[in-house]
Amino acid sequence: MKSYPDLKRNPLTMIMLAMISAIPLFFMVIFSGGGMLLHGIVGAMISTIGFIGVASAIGEISWDKYIKLREMMVAMPVHPVSYAMGIALAPLLLSIPSLIFFGAIAASWGIFTPTTVFWTIAALLICWAAMSTLSFLISTYLIKASPWLLNQISNLLGIGLIFIPPVYYPETMLGSLSWISVVFPTSNVAGLIRAYLGLLTLPPETILIRWLILIAMTVVFVVLTALKARWRET
Amino acid sequence: MKSIELVKVYHSKEKVEALKGVNITVGKGELYTLLGPNGAGKTTFLRIIATQLMPTKGDAYVLGYSVLNEPKEVRKHIAVVPQDVAAYSSYTPWDYAFHFAQLRGMTNQEAKQAANRALKAVDIYKLKDRTCATLSGGEKRRALIASALASDADVLMLDEPTSGLDAVARRGVWSAFREMVKEGKTILLTTHMMEEAEIVSDRLAIINKGTVISEGTPSEIKGLAKEKYRVLVEGQFDDLPSYGEVAKLGDRNIVYVKTQDEALELLKFTLKMGLRAEASPVTLEDVFVKLVGGLNNKQGH
Repeated sequence: MKSYPDLKRNPLTMIMLAMISAIPLFFMVIFSGGGMLLHGIVGAMISTIGFIGVASAIGEISWDKYIKLREMMVAMPVHPVSYAMGIALAPLLLSIPSLIFFGAIAASWGIFTPTTVFWTIAALLICWAAMSTLSFLISTYLIKASPWLLNQISNLLGIGLIFIPPVYYPETMLGSLSWISVVFPTSNVAGLIRAYLGLLTLPPETILIRWLILIAMTVVFVVLTALKARWRET
Repeated sequence: MKSIELVKVYHSKEKVEALKGVNITVGKGELYTLLGPNGAGKTTFLRIIATQLMPTKGDAYVLGYSVLNEPKEVRKHIAVVPQDVAAYSSYTPWDYAFHFAQLRGMTNQEAKQAANRALKAVDIYKLKDRTCATLSGGEKRRALIASALASDADVLMLDEPTSGLDAVARRGVWSAFREMVKEGKTILLTTHMMEEAEIVSDRLAIINKGTVISEGTPSEIKGLAKEKYRVLVEGQFDDLPSYGEVAKLGDRNIVYVKTQDEALELLKFTLKMGLRAEASPVTLEDVFVKLVGGLNNKQGH
């Protein structure tokens, strides 16, 4: 309900999202001469999902102080889970064109098979789930914070979870510190996608453990959010 | 049949008591206004009935459903427009009316009909496809009201719905409210505009510091005043308090008198003194100010 009008009337939002994710690619091509491009494409896809995921609930809560859409919805026969899913899914609409664009570039290198496409999409979805639930967690526990502060937190999280950990670059470049990639949902997913695309070698048990960590992280975020969130103010 | 009922509702937060044992009943098909100064508890009152806020004590009922124990049932029958809502700039009035109708479970066809009806009711149909970013403040407000109307809810709750609108836009909204009441809808309004409360309401309650201090039709509330007439005097003279209770407004004074004869006597005197004066029956505002505690009042003899 929110993103469709944005998509129709502010299509530049999609282009901005794609450009923000693509900027590091430009520098990677310049400095690596194209050799790191595929790693960068993986990063760009995760960056697109990551930014919209972490901004979803935070942006909505901060905007809602003025638009009060949630207040109107509480007084309607709308289930809180429907509302939350809508908040999380809406920005996904805006990210689809970017994902298709980056996916098409990757596909032109011939690295996709039906199996790798399936697992890449699954990994991107778990990344979106983890980042969205993190966004809900932060906005729930900081519900009294000002919209300005919440937006700054959203931006910092985006930078901290996407540009610094091994999302745009392979975790092997960190040497003995490569285990850090498992700590962040973004770099964890980046490692998984690189493994599926043959850009990184990971044993099957490591892949399984990474999936379990991602699912566990998402579940923890959901549980912590559910403990504090209230549809009706008490 | 009761549409809304509050039974000894309290709300307090961080030692601030917003509502103190409020008891109110609103009949079906009635336009009921909650009138009070800022911080009186109007918004808290409305949010409790709208199932947005839990009362600390007591319960409220909408069409017989408890807001405490049956909020889902209550929500099927209400629509709310909160105070100071900013219209989302990318939305059009159509988006608001249509999508809110869809969220009520209407089919696309039903939602389209409801949206068309609602947009025409608030006279914004011609602007339905313009984004809110391009609309005036009054037009945005009407778009939001249309979203509540499109819901076809039995009970509409609007928190200061005409705040920020010009007189012409306000009249249009009032007209839409009265049309809805004619169709059998119950409307609960909060306002601090006396004119709105007086013109639009079937009944109203004056609330101050969390307590209902008076309730009734606008005429009944105006009838509470012992003084039936007011004389606005531009200027000052020493004997003014001898005519009645005086409310000082800078260099002007309002003198409250009991009878028409007293009002005429004061008018004659002000004419002799060369002062401008104007007499009229007491307004709701006069009674309101008296009930909640007016400014600079001097008791007359």
